[in-house]
Amino acid sequence: MSLFTLDPEVYKRYKDQVLKLCNSFQRIDQPGLSDKQIAETLGLDERTVTEIRCVAERDCYPLEEWETAIEFKRKAALEWAALALKRPELRDK
Amino acid sequence: MSLPPNAAAALKAGALKAGALVCGVADAAAFDAHAPDGHRPGDLLPGAKSVVVVGGAQPRAGDWAATSPWVLQTMGTTERIQSVGRKLAQSIESELGYYALYVPPGTASGDTPFLSLMLAAQLAGLGSRSLAGPVLNREHGFMYWSGVITTAPLDTDAPDPAPACPAPPCREMWEREQTTPCLKTCPAADGGCLAGRLDHGRAVRTFYDGARCNTRVHTHWIGGFQKVLEATLNEPDPDKRKMLVYGDFFTRTLWAITYSSTNIAQCFECMRVCPAAHGLKEMKS
Repeated sequence: MSLFTLDPEVYKRYKDQVLKLCNSFQRIDQPGLSDKQIAETLGLDERTVTEIRCVAERDCYPLEEWETAIEFKRKAALEWAALALKRPELRDK
Repeated sequence: MSLPPNAAAALKAGALKAGALVCGVADAAAFDAHAPDGHRPGDLLPGAKSVVVVGGAQPRAGDWAATSPWVLQTMGTTERIQSVGRKLAQSIESELGYYALYVPPGTASGDTPFLSLMLAAQLAGLGSRSLAGPVLNREHGFMYWSGVITTAPLDTDAPDPAPACPAPPCREMWEREQTTPCLKTCPAADGGCLAGRLDHGRAVRTFYDGARCNTRVHTHWIGGFQKVLEATLNEPDPDKRKMLVYGDFFTRTLWAITYSSTNIAQCFECMRVCPAAHGLKEMKS
């Protein structure tokens, strides 16, 4: 028995719909659906939906966004330290 | 087996003694209206009646004031509150004789948790959602959560009717600047995750980029690992592959992953500036 892997064409076709319906990311106005509920909605099997969701969760942003995250946190931490410790020079560190 | 009349109170006292700052009990059935099928207490433990939730193990003032964001994320204290959860599960089974399932802190599949501990905390009356997202307790602010699903029909607590967010300084800031500390720090309109407003003193979130938030909360975690692995596999030049695999990003990610759960949360910036989360405590320099 081989590892279950998703057909890339199926992924491309359903990625946006699954992301829109799932509960991976908190939403303001609607609770997300379970993989089983999404499968029923889209006419797919549950395992396929789970795989689409897992791949899509990681596929939303390119690697560059992870680099952006590092710089964002570095600057934000220094901003707060400068304010909390009353050391404005830390902002420019 | 029937429950002693003070069972919930005794469990709460035990939780506080074990190190929790707060403890509450949610009705297992209350999850049905909020959590998707498969992520409700009864899906994990058939016959579940209650969910006991504990909170605590907050970062200290010095952690919040650290100049490096890596301090807070490598000092994660979730394990301290998880140990209280495990102890509660043991007490419920040994002292009350009911099934008790400690909610695993990991994920059921992909990035989806087994059970939302933030939802559990809300339903147990321990806090409410902030504009930034995390559940905040009115007295203690930001904290980590752990939970136990049980078949014991414990007395339950009602959700807290008064939210901690927005804090008075945030209301004042909104009047002055039409923004709040969390929205200003991580604005969706400028490459961040959050958008919202205060409407008659109530926080209303209008947009949240969960995918971007994930790159910040889990920068050096599973997602970062997978991204660099993919880039490495696609890189034909062996020298460039070496730079990717031996570089700081991948190395730090491997350290984080091998530290396991103490490194799960890696972005605190919306909470770092939040007056309701921890306040700006003056300490001696």
